[in-house]
Order: sequence, then structure tokens, then C-alpha cells
Amino acid sequence: MTALLELDGIGISFGGLRAVDDLSFTVNQGQIVGLIGPNGAGKTTVFNMITGVYKPASGTIRWQGNDITGAKPARIATLGLRRTFQTIRLFADMSVFENVRAGCHLAARQHWWQGLLALPAQRREEAELAARTHDILRRLDLEGVADTPATSLPYGVQRRVELARTLAGQPRLIILDEPAAGLNDAESAALNDTIFMIRDTGVTILLVEHDMNVVMQVSDHIVVINFGRKIAEGNATAIRTNPAVIEAYLGRDDDEATAA
Amino acid sequence: MRGFKLDGLKLGALLWAAGLALPFALDSSWVSIAAFFAIYAITALSEDVILGRAGMFDMGHAVYFGIGAYVTAILNTTLNVPILLTLPLAMLLAAAAGALLSAPLIRLRGDYLLVATIGFNAIFVLAMQNNPGGITGGSDGITGIGVPSLFGLQLESQSAMFWLDWVLLGLVLLVMRNLDACEFGRALRYLKQDELAASTLGVDARKVKTLAFALGAALAGLAGTLFAVQLSTVSPSSFVFTESVTLFAIVIVGGQGSIPGVLLGTALMFVVPQIFRGLAEYRYFVFGIAMIAVMVLRPQGLLPRRRSAA
Repeated sequence: MTALLELDGIGISFGGLRAVDDLSFTVNQGQIVGLIGPNGAGKTTVFNMITGVYKPASGTIRWQGNDITGAKPARIATLGLRRTFQTIRLFADMSVFENVRAGCHLAARQHWWQGLLALPAQRREEAELAARTHDILRRLDLEGVADTPATSLPYGVQRRVELARTLAGQPRLIILDEPAAGLNDAESAALNDTIFMIRDTGVTILLVEHDMNVVMQVSDHIVVINFGRKIAEGNATAIRTNPAVIEAYLGRDDDEATAA
Repeated sequence: MRGFKLDGLKLGALLWAAGLALPFALDSSWVSIAAFFAIYAITALSEDVILGRAGMFDMGHAVYFGIGAYVTAILNTTLNVPILLTLPLAMLLAAAAGALLSAPLIRLRGDYLLVATIGFNAIFVLAMQNNPGGITGGSDGITGIGVPSLFGLQLESQSAMFWLDWVLLGLVLLVMRNLDACEFGRALRYLKQDELAASTLGVDARKVKTLAFALGAALAGLAGTLFAVQLSTVSPSSFVFTESVTLFAIVIVGGQGSIPGVLLGTALMFVVPQIFRGLAEYRYFVFGIAMIAVMVLRPQGLLPRRRSAA
């Protein structure tokens, strides 16, 4: 197994609070890795550091062995790394098609002046990328709402649109920030299928969920963090029985603690 | 005419073509108003690239319009450069100014950018008034700008100048329409809507925004050349801060990112005041009230951008 993404001792503080501290883990090619932890454990902060939204104060992030620590989001995107957001960030004034088409941005080779003059090569590329967008819409069952304003759709569909937008970039790795948040049971089950479907096309997935059930079902490998530190790592069975994880999620039994 | 549908492009093309006949229907003072409409429409569309499409609060857009006008005026009156040769230079220098001035400010939030661009406008007007190197003519400006000639033909009649302005407006309209359907134009909209989401899709915000400023400035520079020719004189008073405010208001009132909206805005702000000249200063009172009413009742503008389908 080859390492696609490696986090090596990364840390960041916000106003004296150590949000993430000395965190290391590896995402291998083709894996589904789950990053879990109680609310406020620092999961989204980790994602923000990987995708260049925050610059880690310490540690190194490597992509296929190359140091990408502190690179800007647009540069990270060129590596083939895409993400969704915990609070969905679709382009509000645009249709579903336009939102998903936005994911193709880096695939567009046209120069700005070719666009302004509407030269034949540019028109051809536009047609190709529109076809690619429709293809992804079909795969994620969004073809029927292609022309609908994206943010007027139900929450679960918006999550799928955002996922489709990441796929339009033909990513190597996608990072899903709480993809099941706000979904009902049926949508949540469908999401699991979608995640497997994406993985089967060769895309590596790193996902954050505080809902343990989703993570347990889909992840090949799970990393558990609490208060910004890694407290456990392993497969679903190992994590489920890990005392540190149980304590972090359920809290320490106070009677036992006083008795000890 | 089976299957003929009058879409925006065909309607626009028809109106534009009809506009070519204006000099046969109107007296010369109205033809001159129509010429000014074309010139200010190009300027307002150029402001729309920066403000309406990219969402950057450029409150100093008259600077680029002014640079275009001064480049043509100076080159034509001192070095006798033919007008139509000064046009690409005016666009180029305005674009360079737009890119250079905006580069350090591009990361500023909307309100800060707005204040900084007001500063540019103040400096520009002051610089032109101070007659640096004796080339701008100070407060009086530069007079005696020549007429453009095309294939040996002197475009000196008001009608000929109108046609030149009208043809260039048509070209600018085509460019604006293409902008909507190309990756660069869409990247501007992504950035305007959500810069963080856009950057995680690989949109290089600094590059795209600088390019938007350069393009907006270049088109304003083009309008500046036409303006200098139309008036045959330029002076700092045509490029003061209030001109920038008017351009800003046209885009907001007309409809950001909407070509018909910006054209309607231009007509309301520049043509209607000519019709009501008799009302003198009262027209500005009416205008102020109208602007407030539009913003309260129709904050998206008079003719807002339509959601484009797939």
C-alpha cells in the first residue's frame, strides 16, 4: 500500500488553545479513512490544515512524499485533493449544473482571451466539460435537478451536489466533512453506497463524522482524536473496544474515578 | 420562421442594428447624446466586470476611463499619433494601471478595497491637475484632440463618430457575453459567491481578480479614448470621484452582472438627465429618491442577472 497523504506531528493553536497537537496519521491509496472524535475534538481543523485553509504551526503534511505544508488551497486543489464542507458551501446563485461544472475548473485549459473571443477550441472544451458534468450528475442521480437553483434543494440533495462538485475535479483524494450531518436514515444509507461507489472508481476518501455508526460501517481505517490529540487508531473492531475511545465518547464513570 | 425564438442575444442584436439608424432619425445634438450613451455604456460594462461579476468594490473606476482619455489626448496632441493607433495603447496602459494598482489590494475585504480605490481616484485627479511634466495641461486639461480616420476617411461628423462608438459598443457587448460563457468569467462568479469554496476547487483568486481588474480597466480605457475624441478635449473634472460613484450606482441599480441591467442603468443615469435638462438641479433630487426606492424595493437591481440554464 502506498501512502497518499501523510500527517506528521502537525499542530495548531488558536489564541492559546492547542486545537490540534502533534497529530500523525497516514491515508493510503484506495482506502477509506475515518477521522472521528467528540464535538470540538479538532477534526475540521485538521481538514482545514490539509486543504491549506489554515497553516499548521508545527509538523509536516506530505502528499505522495512531497512536503505540502502551508500550501494555499488553490495549490492543494491542483494535486487532486478535494473537499466538502461541514456547513455546505454551494454557490447560492447558481444551478446544480453550474455548481458541479465549477468542479471542472482546473480541467479547463482555455486561456482567458480565448474565452473572451469564444474561439473554436474554447467552445469545444466547454462542450466537453459540460458533457463531463452531465455524466457526474447522472452518476449521482442529480440529472433531474440540473437546472434547479442549488440552494433551494433539500439538505440531503445539497450534500450530494457538493459531493458531485468534488468528483467533477477528478480527484485522487476527497475529504468529506461530516457528510451524514442533517441526513435522514434513508439518505444516510444511500450515502454509504455512494461512498463505496466513489472508492470503487479509485478515489481515496478521508471522512470526518462524529456519528460513529457511519464511520464504523465504511472505514477501512479509523483515527480517533480528542482535544486535538490522537487517542487511538485501527480498524472498526479495535476502535469499538478501545477503552480510551469509549471514555472519550461516553465519559469516565465518576463513581469509579472517585473510588480509584 | 419555424423554431425562431427571440432570445436575449437576438433581441440585443436587433436593437443594436436598429441603433445604427439613429443618425438618420435624430438631430445632431441627440446623436451626440447617443454617442455619449455608447461611451458611458462601455465604461459601465467595464465597471461591471470588476464590481458586478467579480464582486470587488471598485469606487475609483473613473481613473481607468481617465487614463484612456489622457493617453489618447497626449499622444495625439503632442506626437500626432493617429487616434485609432492610440486606442490599443490607451487600453494597454489602463490595463497595466488596473493590474498594478489592484495587485496589493486584491486581498482586502470589500469595504477596505472601496476606500482604497477612492484614494486612487483622488490621487489621479490631483496628479492631472498638477500638470506633471507639463503634459496633462493642469486643471484646463488638453484641447484640440483630432478626429479618428479610418482607411483615409476622416470620421469628423457627429454621425461618423457615433457609428464608431456604436460599433465598439457592439464589440464590447460581444466580449461581455463571451465572458459569461468562459472559464475566466465563471471563476469571477465563484469568487464573488464564496472565495473559500472557489479556492478549494483550484481557483487562483489573486490571478483571476488581478485579471478582472486589468480587463475592466482596459475596457474603461477604450471608452476613455472615445470620450476624448467625442469632446475633442479632456480635463480632470470628467474623471472625478462622483463619476466613479455614478458608474458604481449604474451597476448596482441596473443589476450586477446583467448586460441589459447595466445598459438600462446607463440610459437612466446619462440619457434621462439630458431629457430633463430643463429641471436643472431638481433632476438629481428625483434621481436620489429613485435610487433609494430601487435599493429598497428591488435590491437585486432593475434587470437582475438571470440564472442561466445548462
